[in-house]
Amino acid sequence: MSALIARAEVHGPEAGFGERIAENQRRVFQIAYSVLGNSADAEDAAQEAFLRAYQKFDSLRDAEKFRGWVNRIVFRLALNRRRGHGRRLTRDTAWQMTETRTMVDGAKDAEQLVMLDRLRREIERLPEKLRSVLQLSLAEEMEAADVGAVLGIPEGTVRSRMHTARKLLLEVMK
Amino acid sequence: MNGACEKWKDQLLEAALAGATTKDLEEHLRGCAKCSTELDEVRARAARLDALLPLVARGAEPSADFRARVLAAAEAASEGKRARPWRAWTLAGAAAVVVVVLMVAVTWQRRTARMIPGDELAGAQKLAEWRAPSDGLLRTPGQEILRTMPKLGESYLNVPVKKDEEE
Repeated sequence: MSALIARAEVHGPEAGFGERIAENQRRVFQIAYSVLGNSADAEDAAQEAFLRAYQKFDSLRDAEKFRGWVNRIVFRLALNRRRGHGRRLTRDTAWQMTETRTMVDGAKDAEQLVMLDRLRREIERLPEKLRSVLQLSLAEEMEAADVGAVLGIPEGTVRSRMHTARKLLLEVMK
Repeated sequence: MNGACEKWKDQLLEAALAGATTKDLEEHLRGCAKCSTELDEVRARAARLDALLPLVARGAEPSADFRARVLAAAEAASEGKRARPWRAWTLAGAAAVVVVVLMVAVTWQRRTARMIPGDELAGAQKLAEWRAPSDGLLRTPGQEILRTMPKLGESYLNVPVKKDEEE
């Protein structure tokens, strides 16, 4: 284990940083993944977000502050990365995404995976405002208030956009 | 769904999403088997959608060594930062030297610009006093008269009269 990992868990200027990563990594990764659609890019974006948080860690020691800040940053980084990559951005297929998971009911899962691929494509076609709300809401532990904090919109607006997005998806996912 | 039932489409979607129907829709459903079937289908679709949506992102996981990699990258960045102060001082010193050199150069240039050599000055004076050769040709006797300002009652053409002519 490297010196910083040891320090991060004991004391020093980096104390608590390792703990913050552990608390936030799944959600931060999922936010990036919902925007980028592939694990490699999502991990890069998540890592960059944590490194930026590390540089400002003195002002981000509070767990809630850290959580809000890193959510915002990873979403922006993921959006920038997506814009930068444009058409070159590859998406994991549902098969790649679930390759390590056990299929309990093969036939049912196969159908579900096809539907999941289709759903992702339909999400991509949603208007930007609805898509952002939906993508952020899909990550774990992202309540309407958290999504609103990232996008700078009220909680009520998040709920209403989420409803509209679901309605549009329900209409097209026949 | 037939053409007459088209207007209920939106309400059916809302009912499937909200899980509740309005009074109007309920009344319509009592008399319309097609819309009742449609509502059941939309509800089933909504349930499938709600089951699928979380999988869009939540099925994905960061790799097992993600935290260790981030910490290692942070360590590398912080070591780079610690090793960088001498570089910062070197850059600051170089910048100071450049500024001083620029200041000296500007001052020197201004001073030399003020010191005009004697021959250049004489040449400039000559140029300032230069008159075109045609200026002499343009000179007329009237110019002298026009340069003088006549007093009140006098005329520009105050030609003196010879005394013997008066007599």
